[in-house]
Order: sequence, then structure tokens, then C-alpha cells
Amino acid sequence: MALLEVRDLVKRFGETTILNGVNLRVQKGEVKVVMGRSGSGKSTLLRCINRLEEPTSGSIRLHDREVTGPSVDIRALRRSVGFVFQQFALYRHLSVLDNVTLALRHLGGLRRNEAEEKARHELARVDMTEHRHKFPAELSGGQKQRVALARALAMDPDVVFFDEPTSALDPLMCREVAILINRLFVDGVTVLCVTHDLTLARLISDRVIFLDRGRVCAEDAIENLSSGHADPRVQEFFGQEASGR
Amino acid sequence: MSAAEIFWQLLRGAPYTLLVTSVCAATGLCVGLFVAALRRARIPGLQVIIAVYAYVFRGVPVLVLLFLAYFGLPSIGIKLSPLLAMALSLGLTAGAYLAEVFRGALASVDTTEIIAAEAMGFSRLQIMRLVEFPQMLRFAVPGMINEFTTILKYSPFAYTVGIPEITKQATALTARTLQGIEIYLCVGLLYFAIYRVVLSTIRLVASRYQVPGIGNS
Ligand SMILES: Nc1ncnc2c1ncn2[C@@H]1O[C@H](COP(=O)(O)OP(=O)(O)OP(=O)(O)O)[C@@H](O)[C@H]1O
Ligand SMILES: [Mg+2]
Repeated sequence: MALLEVRDLVKRFGETTILNGVNLRVQKGEVKVVMGRSGSGKSTLLRCINRLEEPTSGSIRLHDREVTGPSVDIRALRRSVGFVFQQFALYRHLSVLDNVTLALRHLGGLRRNEAEEKARHELARVDMTEHRHKFPAELSGGQKQRVALARALAMDPDVVFFDEPTSALDPLMCREVAILINRLFVDGVTVLCVTHDLTLARLISDRVIFLDRGRVCAEDAIENLSSGHADPRVQEFFGQEASGR
Repeated sequence: MSAAEIFWQLLRGAPYTLLVTSVCAATGLCVGLFVAALRRARIPGLQVIIAVYAYVFRGVPVLVLLFLAYFGLPSIGIKLSPLLAMALSLGLTAGAYLAEVFRGALASVDTTEIIAAEAMGFSRLQIMRLVEFPQMLRFAVPGMINEFTTILKYSPFAYTVGIPEITKQATALTARTLQGIEIYLCVGLLYFAIYRVVLSTIRLVASRYQVPGIGNS
């Protein structure tokens, strides 16, 4: 049984169909990568799964429980999904430590000292302990991302989403991000990562889903996708990405 | 009368000036925050009421509102204390202006942070309380300083409804001693001194909550 299973997911914004029957399975402990050109609906896919966007139709099952439909506790669903945003979205009025404790205290019901202990643990996981009293404005992009990850991990989510984890960073940071995500893999954290960074995809995952015009048009080992895939759309995308570096 | 004696006499009004100013500032702050929160809630009918409130209280002179509250309302059987009348006129006017200040400050809060909070499972109310308002208040510091000092400068109206604040003391003294120039120069100095004290107090409080990356840091 897959931890996360998306079936025939459709999302329309008015007349335009963004997701047109997406199917996707993520196993527990897996690091799954979704690739596709800009505008192919990758972010929308993630946002539908935690109901930041309402899916038009289709089924999404997390732990074999349906999470679409009106009777679902959306806030409980969101607590079980960690989300690391492209722009990190740290709360800039809070210190690094408080960014991590906020949800623990106000959603997890922990006392301040319990929350801080848990937060210290999460910050240590991403090597940010020494920066815990700084504010977001005092951090580099890579450091912000680490804090965003610690913040997402603190609630012990079933799965962590990354939306373009390298696009707001220096290209040289790609390897650092990959190390971070691979560490999650070792710890058994389930990851769903959206990116169009081929280098990152190579480093963190061996199977990749390719999204095009709202559909999954290939799911394969990254080598097969990037070297002469049968589908011309896949070929075109990976050809560009490869020559772009 | 010597300057020192004049000063001493005027000083007896200072606690009332501070009282009026802080009551009106507190009223304005509460109302301004409340209105900012209501605006955020986007309840259709309420928006009209808020708009009318802002329109009226920013358009009608404070003194007229004060007289309406203090001398007008008794004719329909509502008798207010002078301080309450001040709160309902000057305080609510400040509230209307502060609501605008807060609206602007709220627009400075990064939407991606709000979405991130939604994505974490916070409720609308929690997001307002834990993310939007704490940031908004920091963005609003310059506007709040502006409004609070304006309240101080409008506080002499309190004397028209019988509160023995500084200006009231001054009029009484002038009637007795006919030393108008000296007295009103002293009044000016005293208000200026209070203004400076209020200003540094607000700045002190604000700096205590100041965070790198928000506002003037
Ligand atoms: N709220 C919305 N209303 C209307 N259209 C939207 C909305 N959100 C996204 N879209 C459209 O949906 C399409 C897919 O957007 P999405 O952000 O999911 O793409 P993406 O694959 O994440 O792209 P990128 O790689 O640039 O981040 C885009 O054409 C976008 O304009
Ligand atoms: Mg995107």
C-alpha cells in the first residue's frame, strides 16, 4: 500500500485545465521527484494534495484515507504534510528557534520548553543549532532553507513536500540541498520533490515522474529519461536541461 | 508670579493630560486593531459599516464629535463622563486613522508567509494572531507614533468638557494673573516636554520588539 496515492487528479482554473488526470504513488520512505517544464502544474499538484487548492476531481489518499471531499479535516491533513516552499517563507518576526517552535506550541500543544527541546533536535539535524537565535533576515538562502526544513520536520509529518528547492539558491548549492534530502532518505522520511533541476533530480532520486500538460507522461529511471526517451516531450525537456548546463 | 510658580501650577494639569491622552490612545488602538481584524475577515455587510465609520470620523472635527457626545447625547437621555466623551470622540477618531495605518502595514506582510502558515495547518485566527498582527504592529510603528502624538495635541479639547488638564489650568491662571505670554509659553514647553517623553517611551517599547528585516533596521 502506497503512503500517498493520487488518482485521476484534475484541477481546472476556470476554463483552463492545469492537471488533467494525474496518477502518482509515493511509497513510505521513498524520495519521489516530479519534473516538468515551467507551468506544467507541478506546484499546483503539491498544493492540491494538501488542499491549498481545491482539486476539481479525482482521488487523493494519504495512509489509505481519502483527503478530498468536504468532510475531511483539512487542518489535520496539513499538519501531516510538511511543506518547504521555494521562497522558504520563514516568519520574519520570529527567531530561527521560534520559527520551529510555533507550530509545535500552537498546533502540537507542546509547552514552550518541550517545544524548544524538540526544535533544537530538528535544528541539529540540519546543522543550524548555532544560528538558532538569529532572525530570517540574518540568514543566507541555504540557511533559510534548512530552517524551513527543520520547521516542516518538527511536526513529524508523514511526507515532506519540496517545491523547487534549488531555484532560489546559488547553483552551487544544489549539492548541499541534495545532501540534505538524502539525509532525510536515510532517516526514512518520505519526500515528494518538485523541480526542474536535473542535477538535483539525479542526486536525490533514481525514478522520476515527468509531468507535461497536466498529465504524467513518463515515470522512469532518470538515465532512461535523459538519454533518448521515446516520448518527444521528454526528449525535448531533458535535451534542453542537459545542454543548458 | 514667577515662571517656576506658573510651571508648578500647570504641572497639576499634566496627569489629566496624560490620562486623556492614554485613554484616547488605548481606545484608538483597540478600535483600530478591531477594525483591521474585521476588514481581514471580509464579512460583506460589515465592510460597509467600517467604511461609514472611517468616513465619518475622519471627516467631522473632533470638537464637534466631542460636543455631540457630551452635550448632545444627554438630550436623548445618555449622560457620559467627560473622559468617556473624549474616548468616544478623539479616541474613535484616532481609531479610524489607526485602522488606515494598520491596513497599510498589513499589506506589507509577505503573503508567502501567510500561505506557509495555512499549509502548516494554522487556523485563520491563529495566522492573524501569530503571524500577521505581530508583523503588522512592527510595520505600523511610524504611523502609530504619528497618531499618538496627534492625540496628545488634541487632548486640550478635554478642557471644554471640564477636565482640569494643562490648558484648563492655564486659562484659570491667566484669568487670575493676566500673565498670558509667560503662561502660554510655559504651556507650550510643557506639551513639548510631554511629547518628547511620550515619543521616547514609544521608541523604547518599539525597539524592544524590533527585529532585523522589519522596518528601520
Ligand atoms: N490560482 C490560479 N488561478 C489561475 N491559474 C493558475 C493559478 N495557479 C496557477 N495557475 C496556472 O496554472 C499553471 C501551472 O502553474 P504551476 O505553478 O503549478 O506550474 P509549475 O509547474 O509549478 O511551474 P514553475 O516551474 O514555473 O513553478 C500556470 O499556467 C499558472 O498560470
Ligand atoms: Mg512551481
